[in-house]
Amino acid sequence: MKISDYLQKENCITDLKASTKQEAIIEIADKLYSCGKVIDKERFIHDVLRREELGSTGIGHKVAIPHSPTEGVGGFVIGFGRSIGGIDFDSIDADKVNLIFLMGTNPGELGLYLRLLAKLSKLLNDENFRRELIAAENADEAVSIFKRYEM
Amino acid sequence: MAIKHIVLSVAAAPVSLITAKYAIYLAKALQAKITAIYVVNEKVLQELLKSRIFVEVEARDYERDLEEQGGLFLERIKKMAESKGVECSCMLLKGGIHEEVVNKTRELGADILVMGELKELLSRKEVFYDEGERIFRESPCPVVVVKNPAEVEKLYKELI
Repeated sequence: MKISDYLQKENCITDLKASTKQEAIIEIADKLYSCGKVIDKERFIHDVLRREELGSTGIGHKVAIPHSPTEGVGGFVIGFGRSIGGIDFDSIDADKVNLIFLMGTNPGELGLYLRLLAKLSKLLNDENFRRELIAAENADEAVSIFKRYEM
Repeated sequence: MAIKHIVLSVAAAPVSLITAKYAIYLAKALQAKITAIYVVNEKVLQELLKSRIFVEVEARDYERDLEEQGGLFLERIKKMAESKGVECSCMLLKGGIHEEVVNKTRELGADILVMGELKELLSRKEVFYDEGERIFRESPCPVVVVKNPAEVEKLYKELI
């Protein structure tokens, strides 16, 4: 069970147009929807934004992981967005966010979802991993970085 | 050594039904009883809280949902076992998955531990961190790893 089993280049945006937290979530959700990973886009976005109301998922080190269990998806989904200029995400370190991972799962698959969230969190603790993702030239390279660090 | 007590380790996932069916088949053949164990992975919830991906209220919600899903799943397995005339008790535990399963198996003095198929390991790290792998390695008794779902379904259906 690896993140790279679920993260394909089609689910990655290496140059987000969004300038706000909400826009970023919508942009990545749009991408996931266009790849057929999301059944009900509005529901998915609504559930993720409602989760953000409990507290920002900007966890510091220029990273945010907006997420939620939702009936808007059939299984586990993950999309990646990179903002070159950074987005204000109300992060705990007040820094702007460059790396955004939008995750969702059908409520019936919570066990897998939690393990993958924990796995992503561990990967993102590695400063070199974050630096390489920020510098990735394209979606192909971003996915390759995941695969390499998960070996 | 007579095999009289089988511990069945399950996750609340459809694949665990295959594991359960094989445990029921074994128990019937050996006239053994089953203790089915499901662990609410509190350890991962704590990790996610610590890394600030979760907030307190969210972690509590997940814990409650996992508990509910695990309870329903165990109930289903108990009914499946009983429908085949096999005695089955259920335990819903909380903590780290491999620690809880291994400790409870030891505490119960089980003769066999039945678990689902181990996933393919792609790195050396996974040998040390994968929960299934650790249950397999640290179990105090012999372990049966269930494979071949189609064959298991066939065996289970043939059970009276």
